Amino acid sequence: MRGVAAGYLGEKVVEGIDLEVRAGEAVAIIGSNGAGKTTLFRAIAGLLPCAAGRVIFDEIDLTRLRAHRVAHAGVAYVPAERHLFPAMTVKTNLVLGAYPHRPHPETLELVFKLFPRLKERMRQRAGTLSGGEQQMLAVSRALMARPKLLMLDEPTSGLAPKIAKAAFGALERLKATGVTLLIAEQQVPLALSVADRGYVLENGRIRLEGTAKELAHNPEVRRAYLGVA
Amino acid sequence: MTAVVLDGIVEGLGFGLLGVGLTLVYGLGGVLNLAYGEFAVLGAIVVTGVRDVGAPMPLAAAAGVAAAAAAATVLDLTAMRPVYRQSGDHRLLLGLLVTLGVAFLIEGLLDWRDPLGALIVIIGGKPIGIFGVPMGRGSVWGSVIALASGVALVGFFGATTFGRGIRSAMQDEVGARLIGISPSFARTVVFALSGALAGLVAVSSSMTSPLTVTQGFDLTTFALIVTVVGGLGSVTGAFLAGLLLGIVDTVCAYYIGQYITEVVLLGAAGLTILVRPRGLLGR
Ligand SMILES: Nc1ncnc2c1ncn2[C@@H]1O[C@H](COP(=O)(O)OP(=O)(O)O)[C@@H](O)[C@H]1O
Ligand SMILES: [Mg+2]
Repeated sequence: MRGVAAGYLGEKVVEGIDLEVRAGEAVAIIGSNGAGKTTLFRAIAGLLPCAAGRVIFDEIDLTRLRAHRVAHAGVAYVPAERHLFPAMTVKTNLVLGAYPHRPHPETLELVFKLFPRLKERMRQRAGTLSGGEQQMLAVSRALMARPKLLMLDEPTSGLAPKIAKAAFGALERLKATGVTLLIAEQQVPLALSVADRGYVLENGRIRLEGTAKELAHNPEVRRAYLGVA
Repeated sequence: MTAVVLDGIVEGLGFGLLGVGLTLVYGLGGVLNLAYGEFAVLGAIVVTGVRDVGAPMPLAAAAGVAAAAAAATVLDLTAMRPVYRQSGDHRLLLGLLVTLGVAFLIEGLLDWRDPLGALIVIIGGKPIGIFGVPMGRGSVWGSVIALASGVALVGFFGATTFGRGIRSAMQDEVGARLIGISPSFARTVVFALSGALAGLVAVSSSMTSPLTVTQGFDLTTFALIVTVVGGLGSVTGAFLAGLLLGIVDTVCAYYIGQYITEVVLLGAAGLTILVRPRGLLGR
């Protein structure tokens, strides 16, 4: 994407964003609370109009597409609030993830391999799951569409530290299956542990970019996000 | 007593069919369609018109249902657009105003063009005995239509991909968009379906008593009561509430008097809001 800007009520929250994700890569967007990560993701996913710039995905121009069309184009977005269907069972949530197609048995198998917990909870309503399980279900529902790009906004939000670590363990295994990932995260060490590359977002602009290794060793990043004095 | 309860069930199935069209639109679009009953009246007028030119009854009925669905679709695609641009309370309020305006418009128009218009569908033949009670064929047919529609709706929303997709949009609109469902398309479909159901109500209810052009608001009121008691957006809830209210209605009419029934029904809706705001099966 090039020069993307977006915001609310004419007020731009993010501006001049140039960002690239290559097939098979895991890319992290890191930045503190309020930096504009969610706004950027919502703009890519079509939930928020882009005020400027272009979003190109796989030769398709997503810039003006509405959210359901972006989903059809192969981009799955898992918001931090998850937006599951609370009164429906885990199974129905998964089946709907494949909408409008039938769920692919291989994908279902992959989901169960990543998150065996969900298999035990198939008949339970999504609204009654724990926070960690809901996050697993949200990622799994997105996977059911067999997306070419999976965007995760703060996959660890609301999770206890131990569970957050486990979640990133699952993302590591997911990445090994070849899915392209774009992850927004405040928990920088976790994010950089799975990512190949990363961008640092500050006040709605990209401040730094580089490989995960470079960023992890960058003195500014270490000071601001890794708690190193 | 059996006869009173059976009458209640007949009426209740009719209530259920009436309520389900309103509750679905509210569940998905967050709009209480006050013009809902007018779609039934519109359907009835078309049925009479088509029948009067000599078409067989089933064809006339189909034309009425189609006309009501078409009218609802037109409303969704035109006057409702600015409503959908709002959200939450604003959407509800603007929706009430717009649909009320449309209701006045349709009612006024019909009252002017066809003030004495009414639909009566006469189903001939001897009464059918059910549990030893002779039931008019019109009642039996009306109930069969309502029941069949209920089963079809439950099947559509429970077992088809598209139906489930619409249901998911009722639970979380953003979530539905993220899995690739267009909420505005889903809304149009549900609005059209709601219109078709109103048309079906016109056909089935006129098998037991005539439907006149002035009855639109009464129908809307009853549909509203069923919606509140059954729970917003629930198909099964609407039919359950319809049955309950139908039986309460006929029992009260029989043991107390017809004058009390509307108060009792409104009271049931009020009580539901106090005791169980989500309704019988609402979310
Ligand atoms: N719905 C909204 N309306 C207006 N401003 C918003 C809205 N959502 C977020 N913002 C503002 O946009 C800025 C960036 O927020 P956000 O994109 O959520 O950041 P992050 O996800 O990095 O924490 C914040 O200053 C926030 O106040
Ligand atoms: Mg955020």
